[in-house]
Amino acid sequence: MKQSYAYYPGCLASLSQKELDVSTRAIAGKLGMELVDIPGFTCCGAGDVHEARPEYYLHLNARILGQAEQLEQDTLLTICNVCTLNLRQADIKLKADPELLERVNANLRDVGAAPYAGGVEVRHLLWEIAEGEGYEKLKQIAEKPLTGVKIAPFYGCQILRPSKLLGFEDPDRPQSLERIIEACGAEAVDYPSKIKCCGFPIVLAREDVALGELIQPLAEARDAGADAMVTPCPLCHLSLDAWQGKAAREADMDFGMPIFHLAQLVGAAAGLTYDELLFKRHVTKTHPATDKIYAQQG
Amino acid sequence: MQFTLKIERWNPETEQGGLQEFTVDAPETATLLDVLDIVKDEVDGSLTYRKSCRMAVCGSCGMRMDGAAVLACKTPMAPIAREGRVPVISPMGNLPVVKDLVVDMEPFWDKFRAVKPWLEEDDHPPVKEWRVQQEELDRIMKEALCIQCGCCVSECNSMEADPEFLGPAALAKGAKFVGDVRDRDRKGRLELYNGPHGVWDCTRCYFCNERCPKGVDPRDAIAKIGAEIYSEGMLSDKGARHAQVFDVSTRATGYLLETALVPYTDPLKAMDVKFAMQMARAGKVPNPLRPHRAKKLDEVRKLHKVLKTQEKDARAQKRAGVSVDREEAGS
Repeated sequence: MKQSYAYYPGCLASLSQKELDVSTRAIAGKLGMELVDIPGFTCCGAGDVHEARPEYYLHLNARILGQAEQLEQDTLLTICNVCTLNLRQADIKLKADPELLERVNANLRDVGAAPYAGGVEVRHLLWEIAEGEGYEKLKQIAEKPLTGVKIAPFYGCQILRPSKLLGFEDPDRPQSLERIIEACGAEAVDYPSKIKCCGFPIVLAREDVALGELIQPLAEARDAGADAMVTPCPLCHLSLDAWQGKAAREADMDFGMPIFHLAQLVGAAAGLTYDELLFKRHVTKTHPATDKIYAQQG
Repeated sequence: MQFTLKIERWNPETEQGGLQEFTVDAPETATLLDVLDIVKDEVDGSLTYRKSCRMAVCGSCGMRMDGAAVLACKTPMAPIAREGRVPVISPMGNLPVVKDLVVDMEPFWDKFRAVKPWLEEDDHPPVKEWRVQQEELDRIMKEALCIQCGCCVSECNSMEADPEFLGPAALAKGAKFVGDVRDRDRKGRLELYNGPHGVWDCTRCYFCNERCPKGVDPRDAIAKIGAEIYSEGMLSDKGARHAQVFDVSTRATGYLLETALVPYTDPLKAMDVKFAMQMARAGKVPNPLRPHRAKKLDEVRKLHKVLKTQEKDARAQKRAGVSVDREEAGS
């Protein structure tokens, strides 16, 4: 864990998934992580610009990395799987090819943006608190253990795969979320599709396909007895939370599954309240799980 | 060294199946295929699986180990035995099981055929041979490495939900022909792959890249086709329009214009008032009249414009090189 980070919340946590940004800032204070805002950051382009206009994608991300460097930070903290993969992929590509980096930097200078010298590493919050000093700190701040609460970890794709670009842990047998759930005093429940796709990238273009993908983890987590699911990605969150009703109708099942952001899970164990963590901003009510958590904490 | 594994069996004649455990002795260097061969030779001759080259070239021995598709001949067993793991060996996913570890590859080949995996010529083929520059070959080299083993298809999350999805292997092959300077049907191919079960079905789960034993990176190949489709202004598919919203949003505000995403991608979905109300009640609908704007937006707007021009020039250059070569070859 670092003392300070260039903090990149990305679009969703800045807009519709505001509760993630608020919860992240709240736990960062407790963990002793200073989050330095990046003035003038933009969207990373998601998988969409990455696919449709790969050159523009590369420049958008180089500009964000250059801005982090301007703040004299060597680590950029992300809280979204898609931002993590986009920024890491751009960073790795630019560092591996000095000619490319120079060409991109020439464009950045031309438009008045700061160039990127290649001195930043992109890390997701999950990785910072799943091991080492961050993990020790997490155990210290988890003063209100979530005893008896069963949490199903849902990783999402782009924090695990492609592992050659992400590489934090075994993409088939990840354990980081389980470690965090247990450090929070809750019980991690296991189920096969925890590493599979939530369908979000195509939920608007191919809703039937996306819902087909979404049903499986919801059903398996429910069958495994989970009180709630937790995810490190705001896109997975939106899919699991906001599209849950549609998935339930499609599958003719009842899920009623509260979905927590990673920062909310940690926040709850650190004694932050329901209101502070903005649980009210969820589409699927979190009450069954949050009542259990906050009743215990009195 | 002793190796224990559990194999998922299926006998179509008796319609009986289930997990069966085997323990055999094999050299420390044994691959999964070596261990299966010993099981078949020494313990149970009825065990059925495909194999041929034993050197990761023929693509016959695709199967799953602990749920992940691998080539049996490329998977060393000693590290797994040392960990004390007893791996479960099962047939590949997304394809019907014929017997034990053998799947029916016909649906796989159907999709392969559907992408027209051959060079399309026109009325002016070269008199001698095609002359392809090294850099032109480099652009499709990764896709050319595919051995059609099916490991990517086995794990494709979109195909589980839409069995008609053309899928990673066939589309990677398609990307190879889209990028092949000798091919004369680029536009036709893009229209074909832009169809209802084409590139925009891909959910970007990256399982294909993770599993491919040859480094083809099929997801990246699909994205290459997506980029070609987008560069042609082919916006008939909801997937392409979804991408356009991100592209335009970054120029307009620097951020994703969330409220434009639904109506522009799929106007019919925008009529889903019940869903919209649920989102609004949770505070998840930003004010469309006062969108969040990034600071220093002028930098991004200029970048957007500069890159548009550079992308266009690069495309023109790519095409120019080919036609000159073809003229020379054909004259």
